[in-house]
Amino acid sequence: MTNLNEHSASSEAAPSSTDPLVRVSHVSRSLGGQKILDDCSFDVRRGEVVVLVGPSGAGKTTLLRTINHLESHDEGEIYVAGDRVGYRQTSRGRVELSARELARQRRHTGFVFQHFNLFPHMTAVQNVWHTPVHILRENKVEAKDRARALIDRVGLGPKADAHPRNLSGGQQQRVAIARALAMRPKLMLFDEPTSALDPEMVGEVLAVMKDLASSHMTMVIVTHEMGFAREVADRVIVMDQGRIIEEGSPDAVFTAPRNERTASFLAQVR
Amino acid sequence: MKFDWSFFWQSLFTPSPAFLAGFALTIVISIIAMVLAILVGLLVALAARSRWLVLRAGAGIYIWVVRGTPVLVQLVIIYLGLAAAGVFRFEDQYWFGFLIRGAVIAAIVGLTIHESAYISEIIRSGLEAVDRGQSEAAAALSMTPAQAMRWIILPQALRTMVPPFGNEFNSLMKTTSILSIIGVSEMFLVAQSISSVTFKTFEIFIVVALYYLALTTVWTVIQASIERSLNRRIGIPVRSSMGARLWSTLTSVPFRERKATA
Repeated sequence: MTNLNEHSASSEAAPSSTDPLVRVSHVSRSLGGQKILDDCSFDVRRGEVVVLVGPSGAGKTTLLRTINHLESHDEGEIYVAGDRVGYRQTSRGRVELSARELARQRRHTGFVFQHFNLFPHMTAVQNVWHTPVHILRENKVEAKDRARALIDRVGLGPKADAHPRNLSGGQQQRVAIARALAMRPKLMLFDEPTSALDPEMVGEVLAVMKDLASSHMTMVIVTHEMGFAREVADRVIVMDQGRIIEEGSPDAVFTAPRNERTASFLAQVR
Repeated sequence: MKFDWSFFWQSLFTPSPAFLAGFALTIVISIIAMVLAILVGLLVALAARSRWLVLRAGAGIYIWVVRGTPVLVQLVIIYLGLAAAGVFRFEDQYWFGFLIRGAVIAAIVGLTIHESAYISEIIRSGLEAVDRGQSEAAAALSMTPAQAMRWIILPQALRTMVPPFGNEFNSLMKTTSILSIIGVSEMFLVAQSISSVTFKTFEIFIVVALYYLALTTVWTVIQASIERSLNRRIGIPVRSSMGARLWSTLTSVPFRERKATA
């Protein structure tokens, strides 16, 4: 497969290429008196693949969604490519960005959902070119060509004109990845992309993600696929009860966890 | 029983020009009121989902009042009540070279208001039936809420809204018969005047019933074909219409022969 993300490597408006692409700094979020996220901080460098793991209910998905402001946060700050996500600081404290500003901000970030969320009233390839054509106002002919190419690259060329309901889960998720890539994102966020799939379809989706990783796309992935995490991640972050309890290289985390809760979690999933 | 068959057949197959005009008026009023009701209903439904309390409250009150009062009362208030109180009088108008009776305009206004309250509820539940993940995916793809509504939510909601829309139109066509009360010379009123002249009440209203039945039947067929074409657009395998299936069965090569030639 060829380079899936031809644009991410040479991202233009970077403050400095050594700055982290994502900076999550002391982020907390409470819901009904309970801390869903508790003082979470981590950075993601350009081209890095970071995998979030942890028991269910640990807050991995919430943390991932705050990076794209699909979920708000109460305290702390998140920066993507130097821009504050979701809020603006004013003299009277922080103010949430308008819907229009949020939309503009999300142009740099692709998001892949657990349940794919493809648009059922469009064919696979329409799902991919719709946003570039109607929202980003790109040239229609070029956008459609690019969409076909993306569909080809996730291995679904013959299925390009099928509707989502006629595709398997694995195929739908690959279309969803192509759809996110069509926005030329600098960052890709994956929320348990294989959790809703039948076991035999997990591999095809992971293969696409591996390919993406090898082409130096910056990725943050929430997953329960430990083998995949070990193989692809540059760094693994372990969460429990809303906190980041451990962070390190896959080797370090998986073979010699420092935190005992990490150890017990890993023992359970193994 | 007295039944004047010759009068019946004559009224059914060679209706008077007045009757045909009434029939046409029934159709025209129904279509115009339905189209306007969908537009107004969409606005009311969007207002009901608005961020601003004033709009939400306004939409709520509108739906509450309109659905909670009989259409007959609404029509009388709009046409006769407003005029009697000196607030507003629906005058006859010349539009596109046609004389449009004030009562007809009042009828269209009244039916639009009445219908729009129901339509807005259909639209609202149609919008709510679209999976939340769809607006999330749209947001993640950098769409504003308005863009998501335009491109993602409405087109999907439309599919679920078509059957209840069709039913509303069906009942709207029948509801036009009460327009006779404000003097709109649609099919029912024309039939009434025929009946009072000829005293053939049974015959003429059987004819009227058959004409309404024809209208709603034709609409049912149209609605089914709209639904089929929408299904095709979202990739649901389409069962062909009953007529088409019957035709293909009658004209197809018997199964054994087909297999032999294959």
